[in-house]
Amino acid sequence: MNRGTLNIGLLTFGLLLLTVVVLNDLAVGQWSRFEGGWDNLRRLVTESLWPPDWTVLKARNYPVCEAAFGFMCSKAYLGMLETLKMAFVGTVIGFLGAIVLAPLAASNLAPSWVGGPARLLLAGMRSLPSIIWAILFVAIVGLGPLAGVLAMAFYTVGYLGKLQFESFEGLANGPIEAARAMGMNRTETFLFVVIPESANGLISQLLFMFEYNVRHGSVLGLVGAGGIGYYLSYYLGFLLYDAVMALILVIFVVVVAIEAVSRRLRSFLSESDDVPKASWISVLMSPDRAAAADATSTDAEV
Amino acid sequence: MLSTRGLSVGYDHALVSDIDLDVFPGDIIGIIGASGIGKTTILRTLAGLIPPFQGNLEHSLVKNGELGYIPQRLGLVRHASVEHNVALGARATARKPPEGTSSVRQWKATVTHEAIKAMGLTEKTREPVRRLSGGQQRRTATARTLAQRPRIILADEFLSELDAENVEMVFGAIHRLVKEDGSALVVVEHNVERAFRYCTRVLRVRDGRLHPVQGGESE
Repeated sequence: MNRGTLNIGLLTFGLLLLTVVVLNDLAVGQWSRFEGGWDNLRRLVTESLWPPDWTVLKARNYPVCEAAFGFMCSKAYLGMLETLKMAFVGTVIGFLGAIVLAPLAASNLAPSWVGGPARLLLAGMRSLPSIIWAILFVAIVGLGPLAGVLAMAFYTVGYLGKLQFESFEGLANGPIEAARAMGMNRTETFLFVVIPESANGLISQLLFMFEYNVRHGSVLGLVGAGGIGYYLSYYLGFLLYDAVMALILVIFVVVVAIEAVSRRLRSFLSESDDVPKASWISVLMSPDRAAAADATSTDAEV
Repeated sequence: MLSTRGLSVGYDHALVSDIDLDVFPGDIIGIIGASGIGKTTILRTLAGLIPPFQGNLEHSLVKNGELGYIPQRLGLVRHASVEHNVALGARATARKPPEGTSSVRQWKATVTHEAIKAMGLTEKTREPVRRLSGGQQRRTATARTLAQRPRIILADEFLSELDAENVEMVFGAIHRLVKEDGSALVVVEHNVERAFRYCTRVLRVRDGRLHPVQGGESE
């Protein structure tokens, strides 16, 4: 066995040992709880979770439904629609905030005395997950989707701002230097050189962020910030796990569908022209297998 | 229009020192020398992209927008069209539209399209630069400079990757610009023979100094 392999082996062993030690520390005295675990799981699934209570897809009793289909008055539809609306507005507002802050944070676009504070601000907004922002905003503006939108917008500024300034910093220096030497000011350079050069990445990040906000928006309702999470917490409160299960399945289907669309759209923004476009089925697979499946399907077409 | 006294260039240490250079209208100055010796650093310092390591650099007559710069890798916005890139030159220019021009915007568009035409790229106007060949990209960068009509042009190996016909087109256009406007060109050139053919003055970087070279002197 050569030295390199030995080192990797030792490192892996050490890491696993550390994991076991830390886990044991966390779960001290609780190992016995696994006894009967299988039984608990079986009972949770057969007695509580399954079958899902699909009444969440039917019209609510109150207020009286005036829509053409009862489904459009259902808790699942209304909740999911509200989550989607919140994610849409939160993402757009967050994007606008990020696109203003990101150039100030990029080391190749702004002087360091501006960049430092801007990066700190972005890091601050990103360090709290949106659900914590939601708790704060529920306290400030009260229960409901407005708090959720503000929470998502804040987190989006921090997260998207980081993605954006990193992609600005990753740009080739040449165009920016040529513009600067030609006498264009920072704003002109940003608008006419940096934005067009990174446009594909910016749109791709925007789609990703929307997808992300839909996923995370589903839980904001747990703290009273609107969306489908409100109904989740409502049913959880009454221990109605079958209805919770139905809502979880709805969230799963919608999130997967949005990821599929977003992935498809983003594949059109790929940097090089010869990268094969993603296929719909690949959304359901792990990235590696999806890449392999894409490769075979492209081969088949050829 | 541009002069240096005792100028040293470099990042953490001086690469080339004691540069006394005067650039006059109509000058075409070639800078030659082995690679990695600091030619590009000189150009970047003259362009104002890095501060002088030591000494003085004066752009006496060069106002904002009167300096054009073509970096070695051209500095084009690769995802934008030829038109967008050339329009950057028209946007940056310090020139004023001729008397009686009603719309500055219209004038800048005209300047842009004339420059594209001069470089034979009319059919590629809306094409993203990244889809163009190396030679076409070089012509786009040249068109950007033509649209800007700067008083001093700093170019880094701007004739490489071009076939003979394109060299004539690109150099011819810049040469006309220099003659008509009384502007100046400072070009870093790795091809010594070409430097002597096109330039009015040739300078060689050697041993950390910039030496004047007489025409015809061999390597």
